[in-house]
Amino acid sequence: MDVRTTRRSALKILGGGALSVPYIIRPRPGWAATQVLNITTYDKFLPKEFVDKFQRDTGIEVRIRLTDDQGKQYNLLTAEASKPSTDIVTVAGHRFAQFVDSKLLAPLDTGRIANWKNLISVYQDSPWLRINGNIWGTPILAGYEGLVRNTEQVKDTDSWGVMFDPKYEGLTSYIVGDFLSITMLYLGHDGDFVSYMGKSQEAQKATNEARDFLIKNKGMLRKFYDAGSEVQQMFINEDIYLAQAWSGPAAKLIMEGHPVELSVPKEGTYGFVYTLNLVNNAPNAENAYKFLDAVLASPEVGASMTRQSGFASTFSGVDKLLNERERKAAALPQAQVERIRFFSSQNRDMKNEMVDRASAEIKAA
Amino acid sequence: MTQGATSAAHPPDERRAAPHYGSVFGHLASSTLYRSTIGAIVETRIGRLFLLVIVPLIWIVVFNLGPLFQVIRISFLANYPLEEGAEAAYTLSNYTAFFQEPIYYIPFIRSLIFSALATVVTLIVVYPIAYYIAKIVRPQRRTKALLLLLVPFWAGEIIRTFSVIMLLANRGAINMLLRELGLIDRPIPMLYSYFSLSFGVVYLVCLYMLLPLYSAIEKIPSPLLDAAADLGAGPLTRFRRVVLPLSRDGIVSGCSLVFLTCIGVFATPMLLGGPNTSLFPETIGAFFHGASDKWPIGAAFATILLVASLITAGLFMRVVGDRTTRLM
Repeated sequence: MDVRTTRRSALKILGGGALSVPYIIRPRPGWAATQVLNITTYDKFLPKEFVDKFQRDTGIEVRIRLTDDQGKQYNLLTAEASKPSTDIVTVAGHRFAQFVDSKLLAPLDTGRIANWKNLISVYQDSPWLRINGNIWGTPILAGYEGLVRNTEQVKDTDSWGVMFDPKYEGLTSYIVGDFLSITMLYLGHDGDFVSYMGKSQEAQKATNEARDFLIKNKGMLRKFYDAGSEVQQMFINEDIYLAQAWSGPAAKLIMEGHPVELSVPKEGTYGFVYTLNLVNNAPNAENAYKFLDAVLASPEVGASMTRQSGFASTFSGVDKLLNERERKAAALPQAQVERIRFFSSQNRDMKNEMVDRASAEIKAA
Repeated sequence: MTQGATSAAHPPDERRAAPHYGSVFGHLASSTLYRSTIGAIVETRIGRLFLLVIVPLIWIVVFNLGPLFQVIRISFLANYPLEEGAEAAYTLSNYTAFFQEPIYYIPFIRSLIFSALATVVTLIVVYPIAYYIAKIVRPQRRTKALLLLLVPFWAGEIIRTFSVIMLLANRGAINMLLRELGLIDRPIPMLYSYFSLSFGVVYLVCLYMLLPLYSAIEKIPSPLLDAAADLGAGPLTRFRRVVLPLSRDGIVSGCSLVFLTCIGVFATPMLLGGPNTSLFPETIGAFFHGASDKWPIGAAFATILLVASLITAGLFMRVVGDRTTRLM
């Protein structure tokens, strides 16, 4: 074949190529393929071995998008409106109302999930799972806000007050929004705002008191943190000895043998349950149901989730699969378990508004 | 250009005789459709130029300017993301909120001051290095020296930030070394302070200072320095009267680039900063990550930061630089 390229022919080919680029890079609705499932979830929630096995067994390609925040999921789903790019999201139980009111979730038909019975009975049908008579998610992991202490540096304690003890100045850390709720509890107020429905002035007064208290004690703090990995790193590096943390990251530290203890002080704390939820107008709803059923199929999956994330599993029979250290990390004395109140989905708008603002004020102070 | 137009470079006969290479491209080039479209365009210099720039131009407009304009649009919306079927309502309240609340403008001012100081520190730290490579290292070794300095920048921002954490933590390299040497018995808290934040940010942006400075200093003719020395100028005078004025363009470019990078840096302050070092990008981020729907106010604040940083850098270039100064 005689191919002679001249400036002219090269330009022609280049022009042709340039004009074909829009076709080559055109957006393809890959998420609408029949053998695909798009999931938005937190890091270390879904065990890789399980996902790989599900893909092998069903031929469905699972695409996981990681998130680290409920707000981000809400905003992205809202932005995508009726054309969501994800089929399953991971919403905390107390955030259902916000997602449901915005028509972002589809109610779950638990009749299509044969393994629903494998959930611990309390998670099969709880008041917080139901809104408008429908169930909105598959509970997978449960957690709470705990007090974490370095057992070699801080004596055993039963009060959040230790976070404000001058002896530990510059050695504490917390997530500002979360700890504001805990501080409200510590000061004798309702950190979940449920009792403040229709009482915005009372809520604002309580919020301001907690805000001012945290500003006054800001010198105690080493760092505001956001992600569980940050607080883990600070404990490992001994940059802090005390922290408010979600039970998952703290339990992981215990499982790995670090000298920390997780507890629920006498003033109480708040708990939450992560659920896998079907997105409204999900392009692959059928595959989503298959996946939810597979997740609940065996306690091994739940045990694997607990080992990876540190959070307690909602599946029956997981306890028997955990070793002593893993069980100890995820367990609490009964007296402390009774101090956990689960976050409510009521009055969230008021809470979000006031807590977000107070958090910004604490940071700027 | 129309088919019938003449071209000095290509006589009509040659233009009408379609080339045929016996390949898929030959068939394509000889087709009527091709000749009446792309073939017609490439007949002129302007047409060929258009074909060459159209793809990068589309890329810049769609992927660089597009998101920016979208952010600016969102900043004027009363609500975003919009509920399906909802009408977009426009407002200026997202911008006015910035001026009404100290919790918003205090981090903004803090960001401006911090970025300016970080820029000065970066200049002071990097200038001797740039001078050393440009004027003292033998020419054949300069490339190697530059390459050595560039290597850490092949890693991402997060990786480099974590390396700073590993260095400055209570159980980090520095504290461990001091403890091993018996100089301390308790770790020195270095992380989560203005010190660690500045250290991390300067490390992050020093390349943007190094390259323009090196480029400017390298161009200074060595005979000028020799002449100044012959005329009795000491090292300090030579630096003040010859090197500094002649490297002004590099200083202005470097400082502008570093300032613009510093003011927008997000992850490093989040990871290295302490409770009292909250900067404006963190404030903006909170609006996008928060529980409430606050994208418009976040977008407005991002726009304010963008405009303010461009004005500041522009003024700096105008005042300190000259007309020939360019960022790159």
